[in-house]
Amino acid sequence: MAAIAKQKTRGKKNRRENEGYAFILPGIIYMILVVGYPIVYNFILSFKDTNVQNLAKGTSVFIGLQNYKELFSNPTFLLILKNTFIFTFGSLVFQFTIGYLLALFFYKRFTLAGPIRGLMLIPYMMPMAVTGLLGQNLFLQDGLINEILSWFGVGALPWLTSTATAMVAVVIMNCWVGIPFNMLLLISGLSNVPDDVYEASAIDGASKIQQFFRITFPLMKDAILAVLMLGFIYTFRAFDLMFIMTAGGPLNSTDVLGTYSYMLSFTQYQFSKGSAVAIVLFLCLMVIGILYLILIVKGEKDE
Amino acid sequence: MKNDLKKQYLFHTKEGRRNLLLSLAAILIGVLFLFPIYWMLQISFKSDMETFGKVLTFFPHQFTIDPWMANLGDKNFLESLRNSFINGFLTMVLTVLFGIPAAYGMGRYKLKGYQAFLLIFLVAQMLPASLMLTPMYLTFNKMHLLGTFFAPPIAIAAGSVPFAVVTLRPYFKSVPVALDEAARIDGCSSLKSFFLVMIPAVKTGIITIITISFLNGWNDLMYTMTFNVKPEMRPLTANIHKFQSKYGTKWNCIMAYGAILVLPVIIMFIFLQKYIVGGMTAGAVKE
Repeated sequence: MAAIAKQKTRGKKNRRENEGYAFILPGIIYMILVVGYPIVYNFILSFKDTNVQNLAKGTSVFIGLQNYKELFSNPTFLLILKNTFIFTFGSLVFQFTIGYLLALFFYKRFTLAGPIRGLMLIPYMMPMAVTGLLGQNLFLQDGLINEILSWFGVGALPWLTSTATAMVAVVIMNCWVGIPFNMLLLISGLSNVPDDVYEASAIDGASKIQQFFRITFPLMKDAILAVLMLGFIYTFRAFDLMFIMTAGGPLNSTDVLGTYSYMLSFTQYQFSKGSAVAIVLFLCLMVIGILYLILIVKGEKDE
Repeated sequence: MKNDLKKQYLFHTKEGRRNLLLSLAAILIGVLFLFPIYWMLQISFKSDMETFGKVLTFFPHQFTIDPWMANLGDKNFLESLRNSFINGFLTMVLTVLFGIPAAYGMGRYKLKGYQAFLLIFLVAQMLPASLMLTPMYLTFNKMHLLGTFFAPPIAIAAGSVPFAVVTLRPYFKSVPVALDEAARIDGCSSLKSFFLVMIPAVKTGIITIITISFLNGWNDLMYTMTFNVKPEMRPLTANIHKFQSKYGTKWNCIMAYGAILVLPVIIMFIFLQKYIVGGMTAGAVKE
């Protein structure tokens, strides 16, 4: 009797499990077709010599690591690789620091904390292309940024027309987008630190600064790591901002892997070269991406 | 508690003064931070003469809507605006169609291989568009999908479907089992319970997904620019350079163009702020 009942529940359980698969199957198939297939295709392309001429004829051949060898012996590519890291780390340092300070401020409870914090997300949600357009205007020779600098007696800088300053301007615009994102995630990290820990340490005579370094910071370690790694992932793949604001110029000084890959594939129609650059971008991302996934999976298990 | 709230608004109490000071500081921070958006808007209401003037002005001395009308009266602009809506809408449809059922399956069923499925969605969310761009272009070219309205949304949804799964999954998880079971006892099939019980129960999360996936499509530049080869099929983002060469240094017209592109984002923010904010936190970090 008991065995029959058990079998019945097992049958029910199996049916329920199958239903579950039916719900996720379309999504998984979509991912395999629209994400999995292109990744594999991209790897294959990067080992071939496909360009616009031999694409139509179907005469492209495998050339092994040739594309990668050419890239890594090409000074322009090495410059662009360096640019991508400078852009990413420059953005991360400032957007994280400022985002953290703002998070500490907006985490306080007061009437306008919520609404203003929300409005500050607009730069994050608006099209990056418009941010680039706005950046072009702000950093004009007779634009707002130089006007403000002149109030402090600083002479007008050439910004987007000089290889020395264009990257700084692009990083500033990117921080404007990244700061609210960092702030938001860090506020949610702060809210995971329980209040009674502060109360206990206050009784023990800890100062505010001690509290911050001994309690807040260590307890937020995972949240901080997650924000930094996500920041890296979102920043390293940048494209829209440079494409509109500087088109990678002047003289490749703001070119990054994303814009360079696009240029090779769709301005020069050297699809395989563009793919190889995209693979380099992908591999750099995955180093941080895997660390991020480990952190997330650890969090799932802790639950 | 109620007393505390009241005290906040009485400026002669300590709490009241603290609240007032912090709020004023917050306004100052907000104004400084959002100043570039004001800057864009104020330029968009300037006359040509003031735009080309030697002195940089902080508000339009001769207020005019001409720059906006220059855009809105242009047939090509309206075409691009329509394309932006189509792109946002189709991205949203694909995300809802594939993302919501998958989130439900992941949140409510014990599945073998659950970790692997989750990994697929998490990795997909991290991938750069650059990686998919060239192979998709070649594939769509073969399938004669280039230059159709469908090509870009298919690619953009590759990012917003996993976002929907990761964001909605905890919402589905938190719906009480009793609610689901009650529906089944009443004779609801799984499908019926999904549509009639579960979807309404996670309404908040679904509004988040609809909003953000629409914005993903609306904001896209790379895919639309590459896949929609014809300018008349491109959305506003992908036609920026084209209009910039038309306007030259008429920054009032260019900024009006940008402002119109940002307007839906601002409107959505005013009405749907809590959905967007909640969704962004849930979708980006582990819950």
